[in-house]
Amino acid sequence: MSARPELITIEGVTKRYLTSSGPIEALHDVSLSVDEGAFCTLIGPSGCGKSTLLGMLGGLVTPDQGRLRVEGKPVTGPDPRRVATVFQEAGLFPWRTTLQNVEFGLELQGVPAERRRRTASELLGPLGLSGFAEKYPRELSGGMKQRVAIGRALALDAKILLMDEPFGALDEQTRVLMGEWLLDIWRRTRKTVIFVTHSLHEALFLSTRIAVMTARPGRIKAALDLTMDYPRGMESSEMVALRAKLWSEIREESLRAMR
Amino acid sequence: MPRAAAMTVVAFRLGLLAFVLAVWEIAGRMVNPLLGVPPSAVLPSLRDLLLLRSYPDLPASLLLTVREIATAYLLAVAAGLGCGFMLGMHRLVGQAWGPMLAALYAVPAVVWYPSLMLFFGLDAASKIAFGFLLGFFPIALAVLAGIRQVNPQLVVVARAYGAGTVTVFRRVMLPAMLFTLVGGLRTGLALCVIGVVVGEILGSKAGMGALINHAYGLLRTGDYVALVLVTLVLIVGSDVLASLLERRARGWTE
Amino acid sequence: MKVRILQLVTVIAGLGAWELVARAGWVDPLFVPAPSAVALALLRIGRGALAGLADTLGKTALAYVLSVVLGVSAGVVVGSVRLLRDVLSPYVIALYGIPKILVLPWIVLLLGYGTTPAVFYGVLHGCFPIMVLVMGAVRDVDRTLVTVARSYGATTWQLYWKVLLPAIVPSVLGGMRLGVVFCLLGVLVVEMFAGVRGMGHMLGSYANGFQAPELFAATALVSAASIAIVLVLDHVNDKLSRWRG
Repeated sequence: MSARPELITIEGVTKRYLTSSGPIEALHDVSLSVDEGAFCTLIGPSGCGKSTLLGMLGGLVTPDQGRLRVEGKPVTGPDPRRVATVFQEAGLFPWRTTLQNVEFGLELQGVPAERRRRTASELLGPLGLSGFAEKYPRELSGGMKQRVAIGRALALDAKILLMDEPFGALDEQTRVLMGEWLLDIWRRTRKTVIFVTHSLHEALFLSTRIAVMTARPGRIKAALDLTMDYPRGMESSEMVALRAKLWSEIREESLRAMR
Repeated sequence: MPRAAAMTVVAFRLGLLAFVLAVWEIAGRMVNPLLGVPPSAVLPSLRDLLLLRSYPDLPASLLLTVREIATAYLLAVAAGLGCGFMLGMHRLVGQAWGPMLAALYAVPAVVWYPSLMLFFGLDAASKIAFGFLLGFFPIALAVLAGIRQVNPQLVVVARAYGAGTVTVFRRVMLPAMLFTLVGGLRTGLALCVIGVVVGEILGSKAGMGALINHAYGLLRTGDYVALVLVTLVLIVGSDVLASLLERRARGWTE
Repeated sequence: MKVRILQLVTVIAGLGAWELVARAGWVDPLFVPAPSAVALALLRIGRGALAGLADTLGKTALAYVLSVVLGVSAGVVVGSVRLLRDVLSPYVIALYGIPKILVLPWIVLLLGYGTTPAVFYGVLHGCFPIMVLVMGAVRDVDRTLVTVARSYGATTWQLYWKVLLPAIVPSVLGGMRLGVVFCLLGVLVVEMFAGVRGMGHMLGSYANGFQAPELFAATALVSAASIAIVLVLDHVNDKLSRWRG
């Protein structure tokens, strides 16, 4: 019996929304499978349904048609033991300290206080937040807040990490540094990551696989597999060619979305 | 669909109202109807009242109450604006006396009423004084808050263009603080009304409050409820008027 | 620093002027007693007044506890269930705005004289501002926090307990600060209107008896108590709001 390499499968997923101006189809017949340990990026123009798809994997949105499976089992709702989500807004609870925020998921699962505290404290180092354990979110910078949010997700030790444009609200320099830091964390923890972004740089720098989505209604237009070693030189000829290819796929869709 | 949802809400609201009236009707009849005052008992009393059969001096009482409110409000506006601006324009004075004003706000106003009754007696004067006292604070505090929120940069710029104090006030400060000010004026009116009504009910010889006490004292509960309803119309009416004026004033600044 | 000096100077100057005016006979001492007379009266009525104050504050405390419990629970329930909120909001706001003095005679008629109508009326006054503030706070809870909690598998119970309630604490505290003055107001009004034992009644009878110094002294006592309570609550409020900055 061979272990199934595909941790996540999405089959023929369609999602419609009713708006005041009539029904719109956010996703149409989307199919994708992701291997364990992969870093898969979803990239596409605004409104292509990337966040909706992520929401489905996180169990917060149900498809109108099609199925999503994680570890072979269908997704029926939030499953924090298997899937952890990081949103674009850090979503830290302002009345909790950094440590208490990181502990949040464990607290919900009823993990005893001692163990929670230890797990969370041990994460602070790799998160670069040593010494900030007792600070409140209002005392943290944007980048720090996102690190806490990621730490909160990591604390669950789920196999899958969903990230919905987690660095979208940060400035350029912070984004680049956070990308490097995330790469380091991923390589150490060996999680399966589904990463949504607008940024080609991030997609190329981080992923083992890039899925390009079309403008609404969203479909998977193309999937690129990247096999280069980490850390990647973004100026190599291979990378330059890849970027050009990626951009040509995306550009078409971006123009279509703007119309 | 939003339209259907809105209709559902309205339906539920009316249903709730009908339900409450029905329960009140039944409960009122089961208990001593004199105490329970079911809605059916109120209607004939209301008719009698409006036809001036039960209380022929209703119009006079209503007029007196309205005059007391108007007087109290004019005084409150004058004093409130005056004090508010004085405290607001002179920073040190404002910083010193502002918190003292706010501290007095932390005292339930009714504690002043016996002193007012001692000083002014049971006539209209004590009601006007009490209404004034209640309405003065929100107006003064609103003026203060309004002035504080004016962007000092605007004043600096105006002065740099050679504007004198009056001009600065009219063209820069007033429009910037109008919103807060009008809100305070509206709250002030509501509180003046409450002050006068409370004063009348706690002890008076004339006015709507006196009529209410009279009806209550004689256990004429139907009349009492009818009088309350009329007073309520007065109170709500004054607030509706205030909100219309507020909207008009808002229109001037935009 | 200058502010404090000005405040002190104002108070002293005010009292001084008042004393002089009263001594000079420019005002009838029957209506406006001198501060010195008021101070003496305070010593005279001391024990009785404190007993009356304790009476009033006792009822206020009871009314306050009930108001907070009622106001917060009703506010949370109505605020978090969409249908309830839409249907009930205008009624709640209307009830908040109506002067409750209008129903006071009826309440006294139903509940008689004594502690019950005083506490009841105090609750009537105190629970509405709390409820309205809590309703607003529940409605304004950051949606992202709810989404985050749900994605971490929070049950409905956990959502209320770990997200909603901590999020509305500032508004609850604000409402509690407003509520205490409202409760005290309600209790005093009933004491004045229905002659129920307590500070309200005491103030009323001093006024009727033309005992101006005693009246002023008692008024000052209640005012001081009220200001002290509010200051304490403000302090507690600050302490509990460290995370808000």
